[in-house]
Amino acid sequence: MTKRFYSRRDLLWRCGAGIGGVALADLLSTGSLQGAGAAGAIDPSDLSPRAPHFPAKAKAVISVFCYGGVSHVDTFDPKPELSRRQGEALKGKGEVVVSQGSPGALMGSPWAFKKHGQCGMEISSLFPQVAKHADDLALIRSMKAISPDHAPALFQMNTGSILAGSPSMGSWVTYGLGTENRNLPAFVVFSDWRGGPIGGAPNWGCGYMPAALQGTPFRSSGDPIVDLRPPKEVTPERQRRWLDLIGKLNDEHLRRNPNDSELSARIASYELAYRMQSHAPEAVDVAKESEATRKLYGLDDKLTGYFGGQCLMARRLVERGVRFVQIYSGGGNFAESWDAHFDLKGNHEMHAGETDRPIAALLEDLKQRGLFDSTLVIWHGEFGRMPISQRMDGRDHNPYGFSIWMAGGGIKGGKIVGTTDEFGYRAEENVKTVNDLHATMLHLLGLDHERLTYYHNGRQMRLTDVAGNVIREIV
Amino acid sequence: MLMASAWLPAQNLSKQAADVLRENCFGCHGEALKMSQLDLRSRESILIGGDGGPALVPGKSAESRLIRFVTGTQQPSMPPGKRLPAAKIEILRQWIDAGAALPDAAALKADAPAKTDEKAVIAALENRPITAEERHYWAFQPPARPAQPSVRHSDWVRNPIDAFLLSAMEAKGLQPSSPASRRTLVRRAYLDLTGLPPDPAAIDEFVNDRSPEAWPRLVNRLLDSPHYGERWGRHWLDLVRYADSGGYEIDRDRPNIWRYRDYVIRAFNQDKPYDQFVREQIAGDEIDAASHDALIATGFLRNGLEANMKTEQTRMDELDDLISTSTGAFLGMTAGCARCHNHKFDPIPQKDYYRMQAVFFSTLHQDLPLVSEAEVAKHSSEQKRIDDLEAPLKKERTALQKPYKDALVAKMKARLPEYIQLALRTPPEKRTEGQKLNASQVEKTLRVPDNEILAALSPADAARDAELRDRIARLEQQRPAPYPAAMGIAEKGPRAEPSYFLHSGGPGNKGSLMRPGVLTVASKADVVFSDPADNARSSMRRATFAAWIASSENPLTARVMVNRIWQHHFGEGIVPTPSNFGKSGLPPTHPELLDWLAAEFIDRRWSVKAMHRLMLASNAWQMASDDVPASAAIDPSNRLLWRMPRRRLEGELIRDSILAVAGTLDRKTGGPPIHPYIDPALWQSSTGRTWPGKPDNDPETWRRSVYVSHKRTIPLPMLEVFDKPDAAGSCARRNRSTIAPQALMLMNNAAVGLQARYFAQRVEREAPGPEAWIERAYHLALGRSPSASERSASLDFVRSGPHGLVDFCQALFNLNEFVYIP
Repeated sequence: MTKRFYSRRDLLWRCGAGIGGVALADLLSTGSLQGAGAAGAIDPSDLSPRAPHFPAKAKAVISVFCYGGVSHVDTFDPKPELSRRQGEALKGKGEVVVSQGSPGALMGSPWAFKKHGQCGMEISSLFPQVAKHADDLALIRSMKAISPDHAPALFQMNTGSILAGSPSMGSWVTYGLGTENRNLPAFVVFSDWRGGPIGGAPNWGCGYMPAALQGTPFRSSGDPIVDLRPPKEVTPERQRRWLDLIGKLNDEHLRRNPNDSELSARIASYELAYRMQSHAPEAVDVAKESEATRKLYGLDDKLTGYFGGQCLMARRLVERGVRFVQIYSGGGNFAESWDAHFDLKGNHEMHAGETDRPIAALLEDLKQRGLFDSTLVIWHGEFGRMPISQRMDGRDHNPYGFSIWMAGGGIKGGKIVGTTDEFGYRAEENVKTVNDLHATMLHLLGLDHERLTYYHNGRQMRLTDVAGNVIREIV
Repeated sequence: MLMASAWLPAQNLSKQAADVLRENCFGCHGEALKMSQLDLRSRESILIGGDGGPALVPGKSAESRLIRFVTGTQQPSMPPGKRLPAAKIEILRQWIDAGAALPDAAALKADAPAKTDEKAVIAALENRPITAEERHYWAFQPPARPAQPSVRHSDWVRNPIDAFLLSAMEAKGLQPSSPASRRTLVRRAYLDLTGLPPDPAAIDEFVNDRSPEAWPRLVNRLLDSPHYGERWGRHWLDLVRYADSGGYEIDRDRPNIWRYRDYVIRAFNQDKPYDQFVREQIAGDEIDAASHDALIATGFLRNGLEANMKTEQTRMDELDDLISTSTGAFLGMTAGCARCHNHKFDPIPQKDYYRMQAVFFSTLHQDLPLVSEAEVAKHSSEQKRIDDLEAPLKKERTALQKPYKDALVAKMKARLPEYIQLALRTPPEKRTEGQKLNASQVEKTLRVPDNEILAALSPADAARDAELRDRIARLEQQRPAPYPAAMGIAEKGPRAEPSYFLHSGGPGNKGSLMRPGVLTVASKADVVFSDPADNARSSMRRATFAAWIASSENPLTARVMVNRIWQHHFGEGIVPTPSNFGKSGLPPTHPELLDWLAAEFIDRRWSVKAMHRLMLASNAWQMASDDVPASAAIDPSNRLLWRMPRRRLEGELIRDSILAVAGTLDRKTGGPPIHPYIDPALWQSSTGRTWPGKPDNDPETWRRSVYVSHKRTIPLPMLEVFDKPDAAGSCARRNRSTIAPQALMLMNNAAVGLQARYFAQRVEREAPGPEAWIERAYHLALGRSPSASERSASLDFVRSGPHGLVDFCQALFNLNEFVYIP
């Protein structure tokens, strides 16, 4: 007889495994996390920590998502040709594809670029604080995505596919590695104060994987999780007594069905929920941080306070074993996000102003606490922006060439990978795709993107589908 | 590396390499086709390369993609389906190392094979014959009716289902579980067939009715209940990715799609023969355009996601969704895998995929009126009347505002950057190309905000403008309400739009023109798609395709559907991968039973209710879910079904059960979707996505969950946390997670707490005093009396304080027993 008795500890970790889940996982070898632990098949709802395929450098990921599309030619990819040839038509690069209206002419960046760090990385004046960490950053200037449309582009960045319905990278990472703190969700998402991104919940959804692997949206004030705590009038004593009653009444039912692990797991899930009620608020309680730390993240400033608070919470979560944190800068439409179809200057000054100091603080703080080497920070949008103008002073979407950077988690800093053409329109040399980015992220976490598979619809699915190469020069 | 090969004379190399390329590669990377955008006919185009980059690096064969592909070190190896002889690879290698010179393009072109040959090359490439062995795979054989096996314990056999199951059990020495109690049976039947728990009177009636007719009577009563369709329709809605909005950026609401949801519920309630159900959903408009139900049914083809920016690629994705969903849902085949290449596991040629694409290619999204033509005409004439009345008012407003607007525009232009102003000042004919672009941007996009214009108006003009605005607004209110319509499908006419084989699935890689077709391996003879009459409304391709699926000759259709019915009665399908009967799925645990059921299904005229009656009449379905230790030792995961599995209720059913037990459930059926409250922190955004949530105490929200709006970007947490599928694609089998957020939901969610209070009020109303309350609450929630120890623990708790009863009632919602089908 196999798996008849579960230790209490087992059950807490295995909270998840529906009978169906386990049975089918067994039958199909659902998770081919080959090489991980002893078992060939893993139960996808089982969140206990799992050994990676090979020794990992990073244990956790923080994705800073500049939603709407941050302009690379105004931040991390200087193009002096744009100023020199301002007002000229963009020519010689094939068809100019715009997502809205008709194309304008080349437009120079309103911001000056300067060399930073020992590596001499050129960064614009929009990110003066992040620029101080130039030697920590691996900058990829030759990113290429597929869709010039927000929702598919967001989905591609988050799930690898432009089509809705695939698991997000946080789900894949949690599936591959489990979590180190079951008293908190393994995969946490913070939205901008202006609202959530286009595409909504599927951006952190688990697609065809079990609900155990989906991202949990955290609120930035009050209780972090919706329905985390009972209504105010319910005292902790009242709730404890109530939970004890549930336990007692469940016990008799369980005694009649002693071998049903799913029933036991469900009972255990109440204990976990109870613990989460105190652990989750504590984990995001930035009041517990020193004045200096709070200041470092810009919590003393109205402009940076909100995003700074989220970055600080992200560090506290990672410190407590949360596997994947995603923070959105920008929410809603147009000016509310980085989607600068008009007034590029006002838009990017506002969004960069809100995030520059907090992001720099996050890198600094992770270092001070010895978490930098085990935490991968990824800064990215869903695409970049056009070198030509739109609506006189804005820029349209550009998936054909853009920049992202990574830091920490085993990344080699001070590196620049690839180039775009002289205008920043198309990625030209050493072109990198979103699949490559995902493959590299998984690699740093000790996971082989070709072996991390999940059986769905007749196929072993991957985050990187059938493509992706680890970007060797930065790991 | 061919060590023995002679070093080839350089002057011959380019000629020989050109020959190798022409003979092996030009078919797909030449004049007719440029797959992956790659053209191998000139040195220039080779160096530009394709999607993956340059095809070679002159002088460096080891780094050249061409060599990596022909040697198979990079996948997919080239040419597809064959391997170049080593000598030819060696020619290419040496040619690249020598600099990769080629005869000039003109010479190569002249040398190229005639066009007709290329067509033949392409057609040959598209062909993927099916072998006799592949046709022999069990799922492609028509289901024969197997004889009922003989068993030792024939006394256990109530109908043939039991014989098939027991014979498999006996072969492994398994012993079936004991019969379930009558109390368990009635609760199981209610939850399984209607998704709602029985009320105490219904339980007593069945428990006390000892006649042999009691069971069939109960089953029939439940099948006749309108709630049966709500429960079983929901299973179907998972399969057809039903949602009330389009997803992606705008996630537009679909105001008419609920009629499809109601159609599905109605179809189950009416026991619409399954073959008809299939035909209507694929081709209702072609089969019976006079029937509202048939038109509404084509909503099946509209349930997929809707892209914001429409391109050829997104249309291909939409068609892919139709092919994947139809073949998965009706045929249990993963034909979507054959979009870019022949199916890797099953004999589904890529050509079959594009033949099926030709079936759907001419479909147009259309809202089909569900009222008479006269009413539609009346609606349009009323719209026109209002347009005509508004037109002069609007014209006057525009004229009135024009001078103010022009002045504001001039001011805005003066604030533009100097280089753009220069472009505007330059006479149009003298503008550079860039200046033209910028000037046109200004003309097209410079907008004065309405409020600035209004603020600039003189008092007199402002008064007149307000009056005009007011009159327009009053006219707007007179617009007629939209008439009922079905979100359905139509075609332009009898001639189908041409569609093509797409190599590698890319719209840029068109191959041969495609005729419509079906899954070759699953059809004995070629299905003839005859051209319809010249006055036909559509190509009739879908009607032919649907008739092929919904035929007793089709080896898959009946098997797939009986397996789904079985799955929802017994927890897992006989084929545990219900939409994948192919080789990458799992084989049936009881193949003969599956075939027997399929034969019965067809013989019983595709009646789904007949199959319910059959399955529920078996001893198997009436077993207890309790362990038999000896059997558990042999088959711990219960694959051979020696006991009834316990099944957790879906999120929908947990919510419905709470409402039913609290006595607040509004049993109204059908109609537009409802919107229970969702914390705005979970959806607030300015993207236009909204959730018009009603407060928890609004009785309008106390309806069954099948009527809750499924907004693709804003899932209802109560359902999402319990694994409601996201409707991005077809879902044949829900995940069943057990996670802490589910506990948080039932512990703390305000709506659950409110229903617990209603439950407590109901109990107080219906029973006198604490002991009777507990008795009543147990009967309502769990269908039984509490045991002595449960009673005493509950009594202590209820008496312990002012919240005792409410908290006790909510505790019952949280019990394992409450959320499992026994």
